[in-house]
Amino acid sequence: MTRTVTDTTTLTLRALRETTRQLGFEIQNVFIPLFFFAVTVGAIGNVSARAFGVTNYTGFQMPVAVLQGVAGAASVSSFGMVNDIEKGYFDKLLLTPTPRLALVLGRLAADGVRVTLLTALILTIGLIFGAGMESGPLGFVAVLLLAGLFGIAYAGFGLSIALRTGNAQASQAGFLIFFPLLFLSPAFAPKEIFDGWLKVLATINPVTYILQGMRTLILDGWDWEAIGKALAAIFGLGAFTQTLVLTALRYRVR
Amino acid sequence: MPGETATAIFSEALVRVFPPDVRAVDGLALDVKAGQIFGFLGANGSGKTTTVRMLTTLLRPTSGRASVLGVDVTKEPNRVRSQIGVALQEASLDDLQTGRELLRLQSRLYRVPPNEIESRVGHLLEIVDLVDVADRRIKTYSGGMKRRLDLAAALVHNPTVVFLDEPTTGLDPISREAIWRYVDELNRERGVTFFLTTQYLEEADRLAHDVAIMDKGKIVAQGSPEQLKASIGADVITVNVGDTDGMLQKAAEAVRSVPGLTDVRIVDESIVVYVRDGKSAVAPVVLALDERKVPVEEITLARPSLDDVFLRTTGRHLEAGEHAGAEGGAA
Repeated sequence: MTRTVTDTTTLTLRALRETTRQLGFEIQNVFIPLFFFAVTVGAIGNVSARAFGVTNYTGFQMPVAVLQGVAGAASVSSFGMVNDIEKGYFDKLLLTPTPRLALVLGRLAADGVRVTLLTALILTIGLIFGAGMESGPLGFVAVLLLAGLFGIAYAGFGLSIALRTGNAQASQAGFLIFFPLLFLSPAFAPKEIFDGWLKVLATINPVTYILQGMRTLILDGWDWEAIGKALAAIFGLGAFTQTLVLTALRYRVR
Repeated sequence: MPGETATAIFSEALVRVFPPDVRAVDGLALDVKAGQIFGFLGANGSGKTTTVRMLTTLLRPTSGRASVLGVDVTKEPNRVRSQIGVALQEASLDDLQTGRELLRLQSRLYRVPPNEIESRVGHLLEIVDLVDVADRRIKTYSGGMKRRLDLAAALVHNPTVVFLDEPTTGLDPISREAIWRYVDELNRERGVTFFLTTQYLEEADRLAHDVAIMDKGKIVAQGSPEQLKASIGADVITVNVGDTDGMLQKAAEAVRSVPGLTDVRIVDESIVVYVRDGKSAVAPVVLALDERKVPVEEITLARPSLDDVFLRTTGRHLEAGEHAGAEGGAA
């Protein structure tokens, strides 16, 4: 157990160092969500109050930008893993006596750190543009925490594909999964106005609850039920993706 | 060679089958003594790398057993990993790190005491002549520098057994010479046991105390380079006649009529003749060919080399085997 913790720390620091040497990835992960954020708020912000009763559309869109950024940032570990596998460096790590679990935990923890820093940046920019934070500074921290946990949970998709296939193109699919999940959630309008199949899909979509948990903290304050559902959705998603990761790891080291 | 009698690497009936039915390694028995440099010679696809991957715990054997320093590779893989150093085929490094960072990381993962890491890393960088470039990113290194760094990374925890999988393939002669020097020094000065796979006969001949020739997943010959060469029990005459109008077959028949030859084989476009006393056999061979009107393009007489051993045991030159490619993708 101690070895897993110390080696995870060592490998997390290595993954973070890797990040500082590929800053292009991170710039893209900040720029793209903020671009969509600005376009969406600009296009819908003026009519959102009349269309579906949302007066602070900037705050309403803030969690969408955060989740987009998180999904992008959480895909970096899978690219790093594929790179290690393709270069043969993953074999070199497997040849050390380090616990196998630390090899994936190191990547996931680095994702968690990167995602949290990126979320802080996106939220700060949002605050400057008037998104607000009804739950105060602690709410800011709570959004960071939800984002960090979601990042770790979500990274499991790409990481499991990376471990299973060792293929960069295939591991990109881990990132692409996010778009249907986002668009089938109340990303652009409240769920209350959804109807039919879209309402059913939004109800069973875990991203809906994560989005609403963050949105509550930004727009309304501390709604423990919404936050609880967000945490449950993250842990449910995490249980699923991390099972995929462990299965893929077992396949890779068999 | 200290501790000559102790076994460092052992395997018995070791088999690895890749689906659907490629027997990459087929009943391998090894007994490598501590302090030896063991050369594992074979063409691509002969099963060398598969053997290394099993012995170093990267791949589970289909059947049979293997141990390193008495520790079973499947039952206690982590104990094996702690005791061995491995440099895999083609330097497997992280291009985004510097050489020094990579060695530090390897040291931590191998549990080198924190207060010893810097001195150990510095010392290894000196050994492999990379001090000047230690703080440059690995992606800027040449192939030879990467190989040397990979070798240093395999040594951070002072292992007593080191596996090197084709450590000099693709390197220029100077880099190759440098790797040979490090291996030789580590073996002589620290008694490190090396398990060295190679396609280069010169490498095996120069470094290895013991050589095994691997072909189609099996060991077909084993012994010291001198023993293997002596096992041919003959000099080697190679006659090149070209292969026009069935001339090769005609030449072989002519040569076979000469009394006292140990063996006559057709290999590629040459006739290879094994004979106890080469000097006295050259003239009768040339006369026999002349009588049958076979024009001789070239004739050479040589003491047997490891290539001759390889040819005698596998039926082809090592270089020809390389071109034949991997069987079933099992390297």
